[in-house]
Amino acid sequence: MAGFSELIKNFDKTRDYVRDFFIYGCKVRSDFDRKSIRTYGDEKRRVESWIGDYMRYDDSVRGRSVSISVDSGHIPENPLYNAYYSRSFTDNDIRLHFLIMDVLQDGESRTLKDITDILNNEYAQFFDEQTVRNKLKEYVEEGIVLSEKQGKTLYYSLSADRADEYLSEFRGLDDALKFFSETNDLGIIGNSILKMCGLENDLFFIKHNYIIHTLEDILLPEILDGINEKRFISFRTFSAKKVRDSSQPGSENQVIPMKVLISVQTGRRYLAAFIPAVNRFSAFRLDYMKTVKKGDICEDYDEVKAKFDRNISRCFGVSFGMRHDTGAVTTMKITFYVDEENEPYVLERLEREKRCCTLEKTGDHLYTLTADVFDPNEIMHWAKTFIGRIVRIEGGADSVRERFRSDIARMKRMYGGDEDEHIQ
Amino acid sequence: MNIFSEIYGTYFRIAAKLLENEVTDEKTVRETVQREGFRDSVLFLPQKLIPGSEDWGLFSRGTEGELRRITKNAPVKVLTKLQKMWLKAKLSDPRIRLFMDDETIAGLNGKLADVSPLYTPSHFRVTDRYADSDDYLNERYISNFRNALKAVKRRSIMYIEFISGHGNRVSGKFVLLKMEYSPKNDKFRAYCYLLRNDKIKSSGLINIGRITHIVDTGRIFRTPVSLDDYFSSRKCSSPAVIRVTTSRNGVERFMLEFASYEKHTVRDLETGEYTVELWYDRYDETELLIRLLSFGPVIEIMGPPHLREQAKQRIFRQAELLDSGEG
Repeated sequence: MAGFSELIKNFDKTRDYVRDFFIYGCKVRSDFDRKSIRTYGDEKRRVESWIGDYMRYDDSVRGRSVSISVDSGHIPENPLYNAYYSRSFTDNDIRLHFLIMDVLQDGESRTLKDITDILNNEYAQFFDEQTVRNKLKEYVEEGIVLSEKQGKTLYYSLSADRADEYLSEFRGLDDALKFFSETNDLGIIGNSILKMCGLENDLFFIKHNYIIHTLEDILLPEILDGINEKRFISFRTFSAKKVRDSSQPGSENQVIPMKVLISVQTGRRYLAAFIPAVNRFSAFRLDYMKTVKKGDICEDYDEVKAKFDRNISRCFGVSFGMRHDTGAVTTMKITFYVDEENEPYVLERLEREKRCCTLEKTGDHLYTLTADVFDPNEIMHWAKTFIGRIVRIEGGADSVRERFRSDIARMKRMYGGDEDEHIQ
Repeated sequence: MNIFSEIYGTYFRIAAKLLENEVTDEKTVRETVQREGFRDSVLFLPQKLIPGSEDWGLFSRGTEGELRRITKNAPVKVLTKLQKMWLKAKLSDPRIRLFMDDETIAGLNGKLADVSPLYTPSHFRVTDRYADSDDYLNERYISNFRNALKAVKRRSIMYIEFISGHGNRVSGKFVLLKMEYSPKNDKFRAYCYLLRNDKIKSSGLINIGRITHIVDTGRIFRTPVSLDDYFSSRKCSSPAVIRVTTSRNGVERFMLEFASYEKHTVRDLETGEYTVELWYDRYDETELLIRLLSFGPVIEIMGPPHLREQAKQRIFRQAELLDSGEG
């Protein structure tokens, strides 16, 4: 394939493809209608190159479909980290990287002119000062090189913080890195330290491991910065359908970022934020977001945050209310049947999974969960894990109770086998 | 400051490794690329490292044909600001105490005194974590964790007493294979084999939080152990087969929630429905069942028969509760 490169410039494009392969599986080339055949071929080849062992192919009448099938609870390293390790660069980038590090390795501080002269005279590498200056500036921002002004002249030196020295100085840091490099709060950064030192995680597996999250980590530093600096941020969002069509511009949002919400059971992460335009809090899925940019400082940040802290305590999950859809929301009560003596584990489950709700014994083998939450809909996905034990549902919203009744009726027909149930 | 930067990239890392030695050769270059690179890197990278028409100029050809680096020293492994900020953030995570003692943590904190943490725990909120997480500040827990971790590394035979999930006291000699962490439960467990007369009797999992006593017998389990065999011994004999309908955005929701499972998916072209085969740990069958039920009529468990039957029983019981007029 002429012109193919393993390296990529645009992370967003690759993010879309990997997500499709990973989440949906069984897609054939014609499903990726947004791109040319060559683009599809290149993206597929890259993903194969990174994740080779986990790619799965199936032939059907429509063509060969590609998917990623990973039992992610039993892998030592997230294979999708490779997407981050594939950034393209120029010949000058890599040459200057190793040369500048070499020149500054003795710990001395040097001026731009000194460094350029050494490169020219001692290494026979001819770079103009502007090129070297740009690279030094970039490395100062990355924290690899330190700069200090003496008089009117800037002096550059190499940072003294070395990964291998940290590992030998701080006992246990290697094992900590092995663990945290696979956890879902920017584990990729820990993995990059391990890799620098030639180490790999050989100790830990992560159950309920949503490895796809790492593709959203690209957004996190900017979001976290926005929160730290109490700024507005802007970004584009895409609907579930349009997220896979990168030619769509998506919708522009300007918000005040509050927190990153993580669901460890559904595999979703969100940004909880205040939307000034509609004067309400909302949660945006990170996998539907692109291009986060920091904006101005928000003068009212602390006030908004205080309101957020009050509101979030009434979220069962991530929803701040669906009053427009469900009408008036009242306190919801769900009563469960529990045989405490023979099934103590059911009661334990209720206790550990009830979140912001309260639980009390209300009768023989009856326990009532009281939920004063913004969106009763969110409780029902969880409550349905107790199918077979739900004695009563009161309050909440009429539509929520009705839907539960009709769902059970449909499931009964579906599993009864005496009627062919078609879902519409 | 972005993790998607070439300075962390695989190509830079391979180049750094090769530059560690003053002199290298083409064979070493190719072997290193093969070992450390992406699957196809060997087609693209060696010609960038070996002097020729396309190379980056990091090596020059010596008189004997050897490759000599153009730098004077082995590259140093400088931590970036982003990596230090991440490390600093980890110092606020209670789980760091499982790995490092207070003095070491204080030392690292001192070293990173001028660095701001990339985030603090308050930046994140886990919405649906179970409330009975392990107690990472408990000294007994920390000690048990460290003993278990040491045993995994050394493959030591350990005498362990613990309380099982059903509340029974269990004791015996075990070999610990790997540690597992669940973000949903916020708990650590250890994959293990129970030994009888120094032979594997059965496979299991021990919650670190349930260990009451753990001691090294001083002996090493030398029989080769395959993790694949361990997982196979726990795997379902036939996969769960699930029909996923398109209503309520079912496909996307289901595929994302069950993304962590090994699976095989087939799409029906006419209906748009998916049929998904999921392989699971048979000891986690109830957990799988209730998660499937939470999707309501959006999905249907087609098999295996015993799993479908369990779903049916629960649904019928629920329908009865509703029909009884109380629901």
